[in-house]
Order: sequence, then structure tokens, then C-alpha cells
Amino acid sequence: MKNDAKLKGKDLINIGIYAAIYCVIMTAIAMLGFIPIMMPLLCVLVPLLGGIPMMLFMTKVSKFGMVTIYSIIVGLFLWITGMGYWPFIFGIVFGFLADLIAKSGSYKSSRKTILSYAVFCLVVFGNFIPLFINAEKYFETRQSFGDEYITSLSSIMSHTWLAPVLCVATLVCGLIGGFIGRAVLKKHFEKAGIA
Amino acid sequence: MQAVLQADVGHRGVVLDPRTKIFLLFTIALFVLGGAGGDLLDRYVACFCMLPFVLFLLAKKWKRACIYLVIYLAAYGSFVYFGPRTTGIANFLLLAVCGILSRFLPSIMLGQYLIETTTVSEFHAAMNRMHVTEKISIPLSVMFRFFPTVAEEFASINAAMRMRDIRFGGKNAAKMIEYRMIPLMVCSAKIGEELNAAALTRGLAGDVRRTDICEIGFHLQDLIFFVLGLIPYVVCVVGLFQ
Amino acid sequence: MIQIQHVSFEYANAEKGALYDVSLEIRPGECVLLCGESGCGKTTITRLLNGLIPHFYEGNLSGSIRVNNLDVRNEELYTIARTVGSVFQNPRSQFFCLDTTSELAFGCENMGLPKDEILARIDQVTRAFHLKKMLGRNIFELSGGEKQRIACAGVSAVQPEVLVLDEPTSNLDVDAIEELKQILLYWKAQGKTIVIAEHRLYWLKEICDRVVYLDHGKVGFDLPMQEFVQFSTKRLQELGLRALMMEHDTFPEEESRSKEKIRLLDYRFCYAKSGHPALALSDLAVPAGSVIAVTGHNGAGKSTFLRCMCGLEKKFAGTTVLHGSKKQRRQMLKECYMVMQDVNHQLFCENVADEVALGMAQENKEQVEAVLQELDLTEFADRHPISLSGGQKQRVAIASALLANKSVLIFDEPTSGLDYRHMKQTAELFCGLQKKNCTTFIITHDPELIERCCTHVLHMEHGTLQEFYPLTAENEALFEKQFRFS
Repeated sequence: MKNDAKLKGKDLINIGIYAAIYCVIMTAIAMLGFIPIMMPLLCVLVPLLGGIPMMLFMTKVSKFGMVTIYSIIVGLFLWITGMGYWPFIFGIVFGFLADLIAKSGSYKSSRKTILSYAVFCLVVFGNFIPLFINAEKYFETRQSFGDEYITSLSSIMSHTWLAPVLCVATLVCGLIGGFIGRAVLKKHFEKAGIA
Repeated sequence: MQAVLQADVGHRGVVLDPRTKIFLLFTIALFVLGGAGGDLLDRYVACFCMLPFVLFLLAKKWKRACIYLVIYLAAYGSFVYFGPRTTGIANFLLLAVCGILSRFLPSIMLGQYLIETTTVSEFHAAMNRMHVTEKISIPLSVMFRFFPTVAEEFASINAAMRMRDIRFGGKNAAKMIEYRMIPLMVCSAKIGEELNAAALTRGLAGDVRRTDICEIGFHLQDLIFFVLGLIPYVVCVVGLFQ
Repeated sequence: MIQIQHVSFEYANAEKGALYDVSLEIRPGECVLLCGESGCGKTTITRLLNGLIPHFYEGNLSGSIRVNNLDVRNEELYTIARTVGSVFQNPRSQFFCLDTTSELAFGCENMGLPKDEILARIDQVTRAFHLKKMLGRNIFELSGGEKQRIACAGVSAVQPEVLVLDEPTSNLDVDAIEELKQILLYWKAQGKTIVIAEHRLYWLKEICDRVVYLDHGKVGFDLPMQEFVQFSTKRLQELGLRALMMEHDTFPEEESRSKEKIRLLDYRFCYAKSGHPALALSDLAVPAGSVIAVTGHNGAGKSTFLRCMCGLEKKFAGTTVLHGSKKQRRQMLKECYMVMQDVNHQLFCENVADEVALGMAQENKEQVEAVLQELDLTEFADRHPISLSGGQKQRVAIASALLANKSVLIFDEPTSGLDYRHMKQTAELFCGLQKKNCTTFIITHDPELIERCCTHVLHMEHGTLQEFYPLTAENEALFEKQFRFS
């Protein structure tokens, strides 16, 4: 058996399979997000539940690059389903970071993989970037709507507080989700012999 | 989920090259979702948002086209009309709902259009032409192949849960999620392994460049939509110099 | 063509299927049947040939494997793929594309053949395998038999020298097996070398030249087919093999009298997409407490029928008279339990004891223990249900249904891919259910199972009832007509 560091067909296909599971779960949750008020909840729910497939995926990872590609794929999926190109860009950046973190624990250390997953979760946060970028400019142009409009809308959407809060929420939920994933892995998958 | 990149090849109306669709998706994400161009494009944005409507019509998806049109117009209309006329919490809610809808909906719908009118082979061929590395294109094709399977598994698990009379509102929500996720993971992982083995024995991820027998290419309709898609960029550039 | 020399292999994370010092030589153009009980290592040998071992499944391998002068251990999978074509058991998981034409092209595309060449090859296999009508269709709309034909055609388009089939008929009906047989004969005529691991043996009598029997990872015997066909059914059973000929015990003279009947009224159902009726049964009475084999071709509406009965189809409006009262969809959901083909779908808990108790109205330890005892599950009470073997999982599912007081049990192809011993166990289990006053419906293509445990046969085609008859001496001819072994 050649155990070189190059990614092989087996690894690439595994990435696709687990990315599919992740995206299905994400889409199922996003159905709830169709009520726009629920949208910020995506930042909470997706990282929480996504930890389970991600931790299972991590057991199949042994080479550098797999987590990066995984997160690029998830980002691409979000992009082509119309969430804008930010998740894609975030996918490259944070996927790479997550990969580095997981690699430093040689993809085995449970603390490192959990941290790695939390960083990866920022891809989901990428969905919300368009709400914050240009937000003020976007509202300025609608001065005709009256001052109350500006203040109320800015208060929900402007980056003054919501952006960092959502970002931190994503990270924290990512950590919790990672723990849940790890626990489920121990409780079920290892006993069942699939991890 | 079942319909992701599984276009009905039989009657699909006017077909665009996947690359055209990706370009439009990028453009709409940039200008509608991302709000680039600011006030310069303000009055064009609404026009640009008609794009998914037109595309759905061309793809003969009448129902979806109409639903989109109604929702978008309602959201945008109330955003413009009621926005300045309401106050307090009503205003807040209205703006949150309609604002987000009118910004995200066009892009999501265009995404829907892309995944509903493209086949996996076409998408793969397009990526191949754009020289996307196999390290991305293989996992992506696998993902699209695997969606219907995961959805099918999900349905079977739901059926099993109904027969066992496991429903929401019972003991607790965490258990409900656990009961859904565990069999889903187990079944998908098992099928995934089989799929992986089968694909490898058929020579996927070899050292030669893959051929694509799927026909894609630019036609007149692609040209028209490309030009349409270029308009906001042109307006922006011109605006910068004024 | 194929040389396997002193090969030993153990899977990294499973005990079953290991090989111990196996040597085998196969000449070009030979067609070899690998048989043996589940876990004897026949699938492992197919994986050695197509390179999945050691390149995909990890474990401890020693010895040498050469296929057409390729050293399998040191070649990449995509190189081996040009020489060895593989067909697998599960039609759901062996496709890479979502439409049939791309699927046929897939192997050739991976080889990077020129486009015209690929189109020519597709054209050729389309004609050879009679696939004209199936081109350009969505794979998920095809029946199991059609899927397997597409899989064979896709492999054939690559034009490999060696073909390896791993239990290709597990999910096929009698006619689809016949079609597969024609495909194998076509390959044989082309001079391909074929290795096939299979439980069902009867259809291979005229195809295979040689039979290799594996016993716990070692070659038990290696005989020409002419000698193997002389084996008596009893001898085959001792070896744990399925029958080569259709033989069955005499059926009872009279139908066992059951007073209570389950009446199925107005069973009609259309799928929203296609619009054409998938099920149309107007009035049918089946005796309660019987074991009913639901038979018919792949795609005859058997699953739809039973899903409707279970109450799983929301748009289904028929009624069922059970225990003397009319029951609507929701009430049937409480009475029925379907054990799916992939039992993993319905195992939710961390251990067997919790699993079986999950659907109980109120927890009752003694009752749980009694049922576990009865189904031989006591020793597994603390195991994770998913880590059990297929038969054990089935029993767990049955236990949970019994504890939830279900009176109608439904099984979807419970013996597909089972060897003789396991099939017999399953049959005994079903006989036991009859004594518990459960009415059992079994979707199956397996005549050996039917003759062992079923009391009635319900034959469906195109969503309608073909015939419904008790399995008595009088109806022997009907049964044999439907399941003739050739």
C-alpha cells in the first residue's frame, strides 16, 4: 500500500460523499430559514448539527488538502444555490485554516478537530456577509424612506453589533457542534464499526 | 433535493450553457445580494431581478416563474411603499422580512434555476472547459450524484420513524434529531463506501485527462444573456468616470 | 490469465471474509463460479482481482496476485480498471452518473478515449444489450433488472479482458436473472474471462465451467461444473449452498382454516409524477395469521401496495378491515410494521435493549426480556444494533415490532443475498411469527423461502392482482409455473 501524501480517487470521492451529507442537512435546516427572521438561526443550528457528519468525515481524513477541498465544495454549493460568492471565498480561506489546525493534530486529536470544525463553520457565516458589507451605503441610498427606516434597519442589519455577534455565535456553536459530533462518534459510530 | 442537477432532458425549453448561468449567478450575487454599485444601480436592480423570471419562462417552468414574480413584486413593492409609511415594530418587521426577501430571493431563485436546468454531466463538462482541477470537479460531481441518495435515505428513515410512532413533541427534541441523524449517517456512509469502490473500479481519477461526451457550447441565447449580464458592470464603470 | 498465489488477507476492521493461503489459477476464457457460505471469502477474492484490495479496503495482505500480467498489488486502480471490469450487488450504489447514457460512457471517459470512439462503443453496447429504449433516462426510474443491465453495459464498453461479478442477482427477479444470463453468455462468446461470486446457483449451470467452493477462507473444492451439478440438494444444503434444482416438500393438502380475515378495500394509488395508476386492487380478503408471499416482477407495485397498507403513503385513501373494524391510514400505521430491505434505516438506539423497547406504550422489563429470549437476542442486549449481522438486525426489528403490539408485519426482500443456512433461519423465524398471531407479508423473489414458510402467494403485476392462492398441494402447479427453475 502506498501511503503517500497525494490525494487519491478514494479521498476525493469521500470528500464528495460527506459534503453531500453536510449540504443536505444544511438545506434541511435552511428550509426553516425561509422565514427570514429565522435566518440568523442558521448560524446556530447548522454548526450545531453539522458537527456530526463533519466528525465522521474527519475519521476518513489523513492527508492535507481534504478539509480544504471539503470546505471549498460546501462553499461552492452555497454559491450555486444562490447564497452569493462569499461562502466560496470563506470556504477557501477558512477551509485552509481548518485544515492546518486539524493537521497539527495529525487529524486524530479530538481537541484539534473540534477547533478545526469551528473554524470551518465560518463558511456558513459567509452567507450573511452581503447583509453587512456595504450595509450603510445600501441604506444611505434609501434616505427617501425616512429616518426611522434607516435607524431601525441599521439596528438589525448593520455591522455595528450583529456581525460580530453572529460570527462569535457561529464559532461557539461550531465548538459545541464539534463536541456533539465527537460524542455521537463515540456513542454510536465507533460501537457500530463505521468510524 | 431530489431535483439537484437532474434536469429533465426531454422538454427543457431554451438551453443555456452552464458557464452562462454561472456568470449570471455571479453577477446577481455581486449587484443584488452584495449591493455593489450602490445608488448608481438602484433603479436597475429591480429590473435585473426579473432575470430569474425570464429564465424560468424560457425553461418552461411556468408555475415557478409566476410564484417568483408574485413573491418578489410583493416583497419589493411593500418594501418601497410601506417602508416610509410605517413606524415602530411593524416597520422593523416589514423591513427585515421584505428587505431580506428582496435581496436574497433573486439570487436563490437563480441558483434554483441553475441546479434545476443543468445535468451533472453538463456541469462537469463546463468545469472541465474552465480548467477546474479534478481535485474539485470529482468531489463536486460525487456530491451531486449523492444528493438523491441521501434524500432517499432520509425519506426511508422518516417512514421508519412514523411506523415506530416516534414523533416530535414526545420525549425531547435532542433525541429526535439523534434518531434521524444516526441512521442517516450510517446508511449514507455505507452506501458511500460502495459507491466509492464502484467508481474506482471504473477508473475514476486516473492519470489521463477525462473526455466528456456531453455537448455544451455557446449559442445565440448565451450571447444575449451575456450582454444583459454585462450591463450593470458597464453602468458601474461609466458611473465611476462621471 | 489470473494467478493467485498463496494469498492471505485479513480486513483491518472486520473478522469476516478473511482468506488463508489461497492459490487459484484461471485460464483465459474460463468462467469460474465462487461459492460458499456468507463470510467465506468469495467477495474478498473478487476484490483481490479488481484491486479494491489492497487499494481501497485496508488490511493485512500477503502472497501475489497477477491478472493479465498486471501485478495488482503494485498497480493503480485506474490501470487495473482497463483490464478488469466489475459488477456489484447493489444497483443503487454502483452508478456514478444520474442518466443512463452518461453511465455507459463513464468508464471510457475516465480512460480519456476520444469522443468519437466513446460514442461508437456506446452504440455497440446499446445494440448488443438491447438498451435503445433506456438511453437518456434517469437511472433512478429504472427497475433493478434494468439497472443491472446498464451496469453490465457500462463495464462492457470499456472492453476489459476480465469480468468480475459480486452477487449480481441479489435484487433481481427470475426474468431479470434470465437477461443477465444472456449477457454472461455474450461475454463468454467474446472469450472474456469471467469470475462470479454468487449465492443463487441454478442460473449458472450452463455458464460456468468451474466451481470453486470456499470454506472459511480456504478453497474447499475446485471442480468442473459437470461434476458439481451431480451434487444432491441435500449435499448442497450441508455445504450451505442454495439449490441447483427446484425441489420442494409436498405442500399441505388443505388450507389451514382461519376464521378472521383481513379485508383490503379500494386499494388504489397513483404517483403524483407519472399520473398512471401504480396500484389498483378493489377488494381482497386475506386470512389473518397467515404468511403471505407477495410476488411479481421488479416494478410490479409490490412495495407500493404494502406501503399503502402500512399507511406510509399520505395520498392513499383505501381502507382495511382488521380485527373486525374499519381502519383508516393513520390507524394502520399503528398496526403495521415494515422491515425494510436495508434494516439500518430503522435502528435508532445505542443498544439492543433500548432499541426494542422504544416503541412500547409503557416500559415493561419482563416483556422485553421474554421477547429477546425468544428471538435469541439476550446475549446482544448491550451491543449497538448496527454492529450486529444482517440476520440479527432483522430479529431486532422484529422484536421491536412485537413489543409495540403490531399485528401485521411486512418484510421487503428479507433473504436477498443470504446463503442457505441464513435463509433457512429466516424462514423458521417467519413460521414462528405465524404462531404469534401476526399476519406476515413478505415481498420476495426467493422460491426456496416461499416453499419453506409461506401459506399463501399473492402474485401482482402492473399494480393489479394476478392471483391469490393458498400454498396447498392443489396449487402446486401454479407455484411451479411462476417460479420454474430452468
